[in-house]
Amino acid sequence: MNKIRKSDFHPALRLFVYIMVAVFTILTLYPLYWLSISSLKTNTEFQINLLGWPQRPTFSNYPTAWRLAQFDTLFVNSIFFTATSTLVIIVFSLMAGFAFAKIRSKATSFLHGSFIIGILLTIQSIMVPLFLMSIMVGLYDTRLGVLIPYVGMGLPIGIYLCTEFIKSIPDSVVESARIDGASYFRIFGSIVAPMAKPVAVTLAILNVSGVWNEFMLVNILVSRDALRTLPVGILKFSGALASDHGRQFAALTIGLVPMVIFYLIFRQQITKGVSAGAVKG
Amino acid sequence: MNKVTQWWTEERRAYLLLVLPAVAVYWAVMAFPAVFSFVLSLTNYNGGVIFNNPNIRLVGFTHYLRMFNDRFFWISLKNNLLIMAVSVFGQIPLGFLFAYVIHRKLVKFGDFFQTIIYLPCVISTIVVGRLWQSFFSPYGPFTKFMQTLSPGWENELFIDPQLAILPVLFVILWMYTGTYMIIFLANLQKIDPALIEAARIDGATEWQVLIRIMLPALSGVIVTACILAISGSLKSFDLLYAMTAGNPARRTSVLALYMYDTAFRHSPNYPLANAISVFMVLVSFLLIVMVKLTEMKFGGREE
Repeated sequence: MNKIRKSDFHPALRLFVYIMVAVFTILTLYPLYWLSISSLKTNTEFQINLLGWPQRPTFSNYPTAWRLAQFDTLFVNSIFFTATSTLVIIVFSLMAGFAFAKIRSKATSFLHGSFIIGILLTIQSIMVPLFLMSIMVGLYDTRLGVLIPYVGMGLPIGIYLCTEFIKSIPDSVVESARIDGASYFRIFGSIVAPMAKPVAVTLAILNVSGVWNEFMLVNILVSRDALRTLPVGILKFSGALASDHGRQFAALTIGLVPMVIFYLIFRQQITKGVSAGAVKG
Repeated sequence: MNKVTQWWTEERRAYLLLVLPAVAVYWAVMAFPAVFSFVLSLTNYNGGVIFNNPNIRLVGFTHYLRMFNDRFFWISLKNNLLIMAVSVFGQIPLGFLFAYVIHRKLVKFGDFFQTIIYLPCVISTIVVGRLWQSFFSPYGPFTKFMQTLSPGWENELFIDPQLAILPVLFVILWMYTGTYMIIFLANLQKIDPALIEAARIDGATEWQVLIRIMLPALSGVIVTACILAISGSLKSFDLLYAMTAGNPARRTSVLALYMYDTAFRHSPNYPLANAISVFMVLVSFLLIVMVKLTEMKFGGREE
């Protein structure tokens, strides 16, 4: 490996770089630190001791916030929507990706192209018609009414990545299985799908972080408390109890921890997934 | 054998069954609504029965005219452009700088810094918004910090219509710089180290390597990053919704929030909301085409 010659960079420049990196690090760590220590304070203490370490740290905000914000419901819903949509997106994308990549058809350029345009479509552009449609067909305020749009939103990038991946599998693999008399579904199930594990992992990572944090769609398509997800529930709780600092911060901490753990465990895969998913345009 | 069975081969049947689930769901919840939105924006349909409703009429571009005459539309658009500027001229250069210094090992603990700088992107935007709202509020650390610098400083960040967008822009810069860092880092790693080695042996300085080899090799990625930044800044909603909800006096509104307010707050006006969303789609496509054209004109040295 080529080593950098220190002399190539002026010391002042190196100092500048260090300062920038340090500033960003502090700006991330300090608010999180402030949030966690504030969640351990009672309201009385928070008012007299804004920034310091709590004199009498108490975890009592956590059970109260958990109960008031109905975190068990929120977690169940978030896990349900995230897991189900991710699974369905992976299966549908692999199936369609296999057809687009390995079965010759005149329809492919049109169908595949329609998904590629979808990469650029955002929830915002379909939010109002989706809301009106979900009322018309009676899917407003139902689990299915949230799940179907989540699957639809994840498909464009899923199909793009799966098609590209399956194209890289040699045609001869499919052809020789055809000659042996295997049906396309058999080839899909026992050859292509197992080979596509890396792209499935990328898709799972992209979709889990997308759906887990998604706010706008659930906020619009659901009004019942029983169907709320974490972001919606947390915002509602924190808006209603804006002056109840300790509990608000406890609720924010509860909302923050799962994603941070997920990130620290799957850091490598997330990094890979993000750069693979950056194909807009 | 007749013609139909000849056409209906196993190959065709398999193709159809394999693509059907994805196509059906996608067309129902993405492609159709996008078109539907445009159609509705030309009518006076404002909820209720849609079929055989004698009151629904085509009204042409009335709602678009109304939108262009609404001052909140222009305030929102201006804020979207500010966010776009922060993304393109803030996040992308900073993201590149971080990626570069980490890749070339100009700083120690690159791995640690990389983890921390990307961390904000994985946290729920709602949590981030509430956290920073508290941080910048009169009882937050920011006020304390400013008061130590100049005693008696009054925190009017979220009250003053002129200032309220600044904390939002700051958080946006803080939050998404990591994404671009990750994208640039992944692509820097793809550049053949032997190429850089060779250049260094020939006596090229680090600057020359950066300008002559790395930047040209990344020109395609920079274009992708710009497209992501543009479409991303048009999408901004969650963060503003959680941080300011568009206030004070709707001065921190963005197009998505303006549309949301039009459709779901006070008395709903769905046609106007549809017009706003069609406008957003058009702007984002237009900007992306412009970026692509610029790329074709000035770039295209690699690949």
